[in-house]
Amino acid sequence: MTSARFNEQTYYEILEVEPGAPQNEIHLAYQRAKNTYSPDSPALLTMFSEDEAKALLNLIEEAFETLSNQARRRKYDASLTSPSSNESLPDFDPSDSHQKNDDEKMNVLKKREKLPEGFAKTKFSVYEVDENFENEIKNIDVVDGPLLQKIRLYKQINLEQVSNETRISKSYLSALESNDYDGLPAGVFVRGFVVQVARALGLDEQKFANLYMKKFKADNSEN
Amino acid sequence: MKQSDTKQPEYLHIRGEKKPRAHIIAVGGGKGGVGKSFVSSSMAIFLSQMGYKTVLADLDFGAANIHTYLSMGVPSVGLHQFFQKPLMKLAEVQIPTGFKNLSLITCANDSMDVDQVTDKDRSRLMSSLYQLEADFIILDLSAGATASTLDFFLMATQQIVVLTPEPVSVENAYRFIKSAFFRKIKRYEHQLNLEKVLNEIMEKKDELNIRSPGDLLHYLSKHEPERGAQLSELMNQFQINLVLNQGRSQKDLELAPSIKSVCKKYFGISCELLGQIEHDNAVWQSLRRRKHLLVDCPQSRLYTQLMYISRSLMKVKNKKAVV
Repeated sequence: MTSARFNEQTYYEILEVEPGAPQNEIHLAYQRAKNTYSPDSPALLTMFSEDEAKALLNLIEEAFETLSNQARRRKYDASLTSPSSNESLPDFDPSDSHQKNDDEKMNVLKKREKLPEGFAKTKFSVYEVDENFENEIKNIDVVDGPLLQKIRLYKQINLEQVSNETRISKSYLSALESNDYDGLPAGVFVRGFVVQVARALGLDEQKFANLYMKKFKADNSEN
Repeated sequence: MKQSDTKQPEYLHIRGEKKPRAHIIAVGGGKGGVGKSFVSSSMAIFLSQMGYKTVLADLDFGAANIHTYLSMGVPSVGLHQFFQKPLMKLAEVQIPTGFKNLSLITCANDSMDVDQVTDKDRSRLMSSLYQLEADFIILDLSAGATASTLDFFLMATQQIVVLTPEPVSVENAYRFIKSAFFRKIKRYEHQLNLEKVLNEIMEKKDELNIRSPGDLLHYLSKHEPERGAQLSELMNQFQINLVLNQGRSQKDLELAPSIKSVCKKYFGISCELLGQIEHDNAVWQSLRRRKHLLVDCPQSRLYTQLMYISRSLMKVKNKKAVV
């Protein structure tokens, strides 16, 4: 596999669906692709290296991010038929991985049994404790997407780690963090998302889910 | 079959394009013990029961045992005689089985070793298989990806790879498909005068970022448009049919679409899932009673699963006949 070759594929080809595929089919294809190219997939044996699979997963995420959102999909479909559609998709080079370096540094810190004073760790990261922000989290009474993002960044956890842990697509996580309600599924699913995200961030999942849904319902009833 | 009057591309006269009289199905898979013989014999039984004149050819030189699946003893007539007598016809070593419309060609004779079969013997056998009068010929191949096995695999009209959900089997199946893919390219590179170009590309493959057979074809199509397109067109006809055997859980069965996707992305070829067969102890229990599962345990779920696979084969043959 070369990135050049895959960059010449449309998002539909990447997810292996027909261009007119309905949303549920896109979603199923995305789940299947994600399972197929996840690092522990037995279907990958000897065919793709870990880096290659990671690059493919990035493309799959990107394809889903676009095709799962009606507005973005319409825009993308239009670009496919426009004369400038020959432009290649962004190049995904597995070797160009800042994430890999960051992960390596983090692994060193995570392996330390005793952390320096003023630091704490999560399953994915080590972060510097900010007492004021910790108190703010404890006494929180309004939860929305940007706050979840603030907590995630404060704890030095990236979106991909949350996505891998929760199996929620990055596009849904982005929509969740930016209060982009149009990019989210029905409320009942959103609650499940918040519970899982809160758990991944080491937060009180019930409290955060209740507070988020309170804001979600209020915002949606206004609209 | 009536030849089409439409003009065919010039390179279609090259080796491998001539049509056999029967619909030949090759069953391979790389790893031993994945159920190739069980699947081959089951398909042969179903197809013969559907009324098709079917020949089951056991080409597992040195370890042929498909006669046991058909509740037969070791046949005294077989390929060893065919190879020893240059004028003998293949039909003369075709022996009837206990199933109507089904005959067997086997190499299950201790007097013949795999090393004794020469390239000339293989070539004669292939030519005779092409000439053999039947509706279906099923080739049960040996484990591994030797040149001989791959050639028999590639000579077929339809290629089936049997695998189980175990990592070793998946790995071997991929290796087998990869070897078959490159072997097929090798068959055409001389005819298309691509040897030099392909060698040059392979020498610089790291530099050119060529990691898979699909990449190779893609690069070739860009830099040698005409011959690259010819080779790609020939390779596009290469379609693998997967049979996932001995699935024990839903997760095992879900592996099949994943393998299909990986093959498509890696090789750039079409890979179809022909069917999934669950694990059932009845297979070996029937064998111990010297009976085929389809006869001994027709109530087994495997009966329906194998029937589905056989019906798919029948549809492919009929479709090709219409085309």
